[in-house]
Amino acid sequence: MNLKVGQGSLSVVPARRARLIALLASLWIMLVLVLGAGWVVLVINQARQISELQELTGSTDSAVAAQWTSTRRRIVGESAVFLLLLLAVSALLAWLYWRESRRARAMQAFFAAVTHELRTPLTSMRLQAEAIAEGDQRVELARRLLEDSSRLESQIDKTLELARIEGGGPLAEQSVPLRGWLDRTLAGVAAAHGERLEFRVHLDDSLPPILADAAAVQMILRNLVENSVRHARLEPVQVRLTARAAGDKVLLEYHDNGAGTAVPGHELGRMFGRGEGSAGTGIGLYLVRALMQRMGGEANFFSAPGEGFRAELQFTPSRDEGAP
Amino acid sequence: MNAGAQLLVVEDERNVGETLAERLRDAGFRVTLAGSAARARLAWQAQPPQLSVLDVGLPDGNGFDLARELRAAVPQAAIIFLTAHANPEERVRGLELGADDYVSKPFHFRELLLRIQNCLKRAQDLAELPREMRGVVRIGRARVDFERFSAEVAGKQHALTHKECAVLRLLAGRVGKAVSRDEILDKAWSADEFPTSRTVDNFIVRLRRLVEPDLDEPRVIRSIRGVGYLLTEAAHE
Repeated sequence: MNLKVGQGSLSVVPARRARLIALLASLWIMLVLVLGAGWVVLVINQARQISELQELTGSTDSAVAAQWTSTRRRIVGESAVFLLLLLAVSALLAWLYWRESRRARAMQAFFAAVTHELRTPLTSMRLQAEAIAEGDQRVELARRLLEDSSRLESQIDKTLELARIEGGGPLAEQSVPLRGWLDRTLAGVAAAHGERLEFRVHLDDSLPPILADAAAVQMILRNLVENSVRHARLEPVQVRLTARAAGDKVLLEYHDNGAGTAVPGHELGRMFGRGEGSAGTGIGLYLVRALMQRMGGEANFFSAPGEGFRAELQFTPSRDEGAP
Repeated sequence: MNAGAQLLVVEDERNVGETLAERLRDAGFRVTLAGSAARARLAWQAQPPQLSVLDVGLPDGNGFDLARELRAAVPQAAIIFLTAHANPEERVRGLELGADDYVSKPFHFRELLLRIQNCLKRAQDLAELPREMRGVVRIGRARVDFERFSAEVAGKQHALTHKECAVLRLLAGRVGKAVSRDEILDKAWSADEFPTSRTVDNFIVRLRRLVEPDLDEPRVIRSIRGVGYLLTEAAHE
């Protein structure tokens, strides 16, 4: 896909290319119509000529008459198949073009959102750095700098992970014992958000280790937490994490106390799908879903206004007891 | 310059908003910070700002709509848009909505400060009206109140942007004499806004919609080929 970058705006399908595609599509439709009409005329003529020949030969032999009829039917049938094929291919091309256009628009919105997500912490970092350079020595400025650099790092990580996953990049699956590992990971995730985030974790005593890529699970948790902090509209955001064995799966439930959203759960986590407002790039929850599927698991999201956001992550249990 | 001016900063990104507000306070301004469109409305009702720095992307609306509301509620307030999407279409839309300036993120604080000071200076110049332009001035079919940044056309009130006011005042100050495009650009725009002669023409089109009885044959604001524009009538009421 060609990308054209100019003065901060992105045009995935440049105007000249779009005009060319529209011209070619119009020519194709005209060709199909002309061919179709010509073919119909040809078939009608041939069928009439066969009938006239049949009458001229005056054959009363039923076998010969049946052969004439069969020939006429074959010509009409072949023509009908040809026309249907032509129409089917045209419809397929139109659908492919529509799908590509929709994807291009989503890509354009995605790149605009990524630009926004990179420029915003950069703006903040520049403001803090300029203040420090002019002699402001407040610790608060350093704290904001750290927060903004984490945000920038996270955005870059997500974008790279998206490119890697979409490119079929491999995962390093191993046995991950959630007990212990989860505490260490959550401490790292929580540190980036300071007092704006509170965790409550409950793990079943009989919890088996899971078969997963530890780095991928870390990214999943980080994306869920960032999603909560961004959309909760309250502070501190309280997150409850519970993990238990459920049949032949291990179920990790994530639930925040945020504002929730009216967007149906099945629409959350769509590629480049973004909720109300302008915040976010729409890849955080998509990555959660994609990474879970790549690890043989499943991610389901639930939310309603006033009821917070909930995610159910189903992992495959591991038979090994190894620790990452 | 403009020390103590009341500013309203509307920015939903906490770190950006707080640091910006702190730095503007250090520069001598009185600053109210609002993190959403709803809070901004409350803020300007409580304390009308002389200038507002508006982020275009807000969680509960967009800065363009908010600017329209602010323009109607506090006509004398200057507006500077802040945006992380620096595409030309958005910039044009912002300026057409009457923004006095448009700053792309990331920006240098000193640059923003300079633009704020320039905007406040222009707003101050606009506030200092010559005697003949105080009260209501009839220009074509519009009754223009430069002090309130408004125009009444056929019984309906229209809020005028600072630039519309500046252009109209310049023309009204020289009724019957041509004013060049360059002079209009020089008086109503700052060099860092990258205006062109076309920008002036767009503003004239908008002003004609207010003052001309017949848009197809403009006679109140006449084009002087190769020079600029001429206002044919303005009468103090």
